[in-house]
Amino acid sequence: METLVEFLRTGMASPGITMLLNNPNFVLIQVLNSVSMGMNFFIIAAGLSLIFGVLKVINFAHGAFYMFGAYIMYSVTETMGLNFFWGVVGAGVGLVLLSAAIERTLFRFVYDKEHLLQLLLTFALVLILGDFAKILWGTEQYSVSYPDNLAGATNLGITYYPSYRLLLCLLGPVIFLAMWLFIEHTRWGRITKAATQNREMLAALGINVPLIYTSVFIVGSALAGIGGALASPFNSPTPGMDAIVIVECFVIVIIGGLGSLWGTFVGALIYGFVFNFGSVIIPNGQDIFAFLILLIVLLFRPWGLFGRPEMEGH
Amino acid sequence: MLHIAKQTAPIIAILTTLGTVQAAEVKIGMLYPITGGGAIYGSPAMTGHRMAVDELNSQGGILGMDVLSVERDTKLNPATAAAAAKEMITKDGVNVIIGGLSSAVGLAISEIAKQEKIVYIATIPKTIQLTTTKKHEYVFRTASHTDFEGDAIAQIAKQLDAQRICDIQLDYAYGHDLADGIDKGLKRHLPTAKKILSLRPKLRATDYNVFITQILGAGCDVVTSGLWGPHFVDFAKQATPFGLFKQIKYITGGEIGSHEIAGSLGKDYPDNVWANSYELWYHHPNQEHETFQNLLAERLGTEETAMWPILALIGVRMYAAAAEKAGSLDAAQISGALKGLTIETPVGPRTIDSETHQADTGQFWGPMVEKEGVPYRVMDPITYIPAHIIE
Repeated sequence: METLVEFLRTGMASPGITMLLNNPNFVLIQVLNSVSMGMNFFIIAAGLSLIFGVLKVINFAHGAFYMFGAYIMYSVTETMGLNFFWGVVGAGVGLVLLSAAIERTLFRFVYDKEHLLQLLLTFALVLILGDFAKILWGTEQYSVSYPDNLAGATNLGITYYPSYRLLLCLLGPVIFLAMWLFIEHTRWGRITKAATQNREMLAALGINVPLIYTSVFIVGSALAGIGGALASPFNSPTPGMDAIVIVECFVIVIIGGLGSLWGTFVGALIYGFVFNFGSVIIPNGQDIFAFLILLIVLLFRPWGLFGRPEMEGH
Repeated sequence: MLHIAKQTAPIIAILTTLGTVQAAEVKIGMLYPITGGGAIYGSPAMTGHRMAVDELNSQGGILGMDVLSVERDTKLNPATAAAAAKEMITKDGVNVIIGGLSSAVGLAISEIAKQEKIVYIATIPKTIQLTTTKKHEYVFRTASHTDFEGDAIAQIAKQLDAQRICDIQLDYAYGHDLADGIDKGLKRHLPTAKKILSLRPKLRATDYNVFITQILGAGCDVVTSGLWGPHFVDFAKQATPFGLFKQIKYITGGEIGSHEIAGSLGKDYPDNVWANSYELWYHHPNQEHETFQNLLAERLGTEETAMWPILALIGVRMYAAAAEKAGSLDAAQISGALKGLTIETPVGPRTIDSETHQADTGQFWGPMVEKEGVPYRVMDPITYIPAHIIE
């Protein structure tokens, strides 16, 4: 009880609240912190949501793909000496190859199996890929430098903000828009969307469903790898980094709705805002607000804000 | 009957011999995280542990018996560590447990040691609780602790004439106890200083922007911290574009002066950081350190060696010396022998206080500076701050 009182006392007396009330620049910076954090998570979680939406597999190994992206970025930029752009490309290509191999040799055999078996498979993959990363990159922590022209801060007129974080604020919506346009306005996208509804009907229409599955798995995993590469300048590639990000991604996709692109985008923004403003209001309870929202969603709308309830018979 | 006895005699003899061989072994239980995020420190610590075991065996073992290292992975998780400790004692029959990484893990192992009445030597966990409120007959520590570290931070804050202090610590036992240690140290050395902001990011936090911007908004002249390992690397990488290190001096525990961090950050290591380390590969306080460092470099295949092996090595040496002093492997007798015991180490002599069970382990402190022709920061000047709190 005393601990709770102390917790509430320190929270209520937080100097952060005074800064929020008296300093508009501080509020703007927290807004930017929220958006940049949310967009970083969106890029990673979008792949997780996409894979679940089409394949109906909850992929615990998604965090490991993110970790591989960060490590590949390190190898390309720091070991091979190529520039940051090639690091991102390398992470994307690396994850395309890795995920294609995993999908063809493992995942395709569990699509029709029960969820528990799928979960166990992805969990086993987490452990295998974790050890694989340790063999390839060792147990050290690495540092990836920011690209030279994005290492500093940008003058926004009323305040300065780190340039690289601003890039993330822009990159998230660009990726969201590209994915939305692809899914809504291309034939391949419409087929992918249809696969989320009724895969048997698609197969009956002569569509190569296994190819759709492979493509979706590759795109989703490549997004995780690119997310890891983009995060590596401020999240050092280390063993175990996968375990942290996967929890945050699950919170985001559950709030937004598993399988929903819009839901993942909005869920990531909600997570960014509640984490940052929550941390200012209650510095010792950063996760309270995000998990409170998660709890409310699970109780009153378990399919998420933008998801659809699963209908019986489907 | 005699016939049966004659036939079974050789078998009994062999079994007896085997029994003797088994008994003539000292089993040292090692607990470090060797997979997952903690492996960054656990793996080099394991190297130091094995070095010490090899060293003992090459010198005739302990009490003339071979030393066997029984190794388990804590995964940096207190529950896993406690289960592994229990298994080591009940199944493997270890004589001692040495290791632990993270204060929460250290406390968990200590509880098992207390229940099972077996000696536990904490080589890395720093929480003051281990040798104060949670102290018991079988727990000893060769690492430093949060009060020593906090006192050293306060001494440096005094040198830098800090007046408005922001404190950022991880939200678990080590972070909380170090914050208390700093508070106590400031009362002793710099009573005029005011702590204006306390922040507690969670253990394994990855995004520090919200904390960095609060520090910048608070108007402090010094930040005190214990963000360790990847936490500091991420914090530094995120705080640099905000200009935090250009505006505010940063005094940190958590061995941010070690080569693991300096080498990892390279040219990205920020300015104005005063940090600590148990050992520095480029600084030889005595002849033995040079020999030790050469051996370690050979084993690791790099001249620029990690800091963690020395901690594990000291733990094993301390146990071996206690067993020799006690002339027995009995836990109660070894506990008695550890009290007041002094050993020589590559970083100077270490004595365990008979009251607190705490070794007088000081640390090297100093500003992290650029050096011409070297691609990473080094500590210069290096000051050894001993483990003595003067009230």
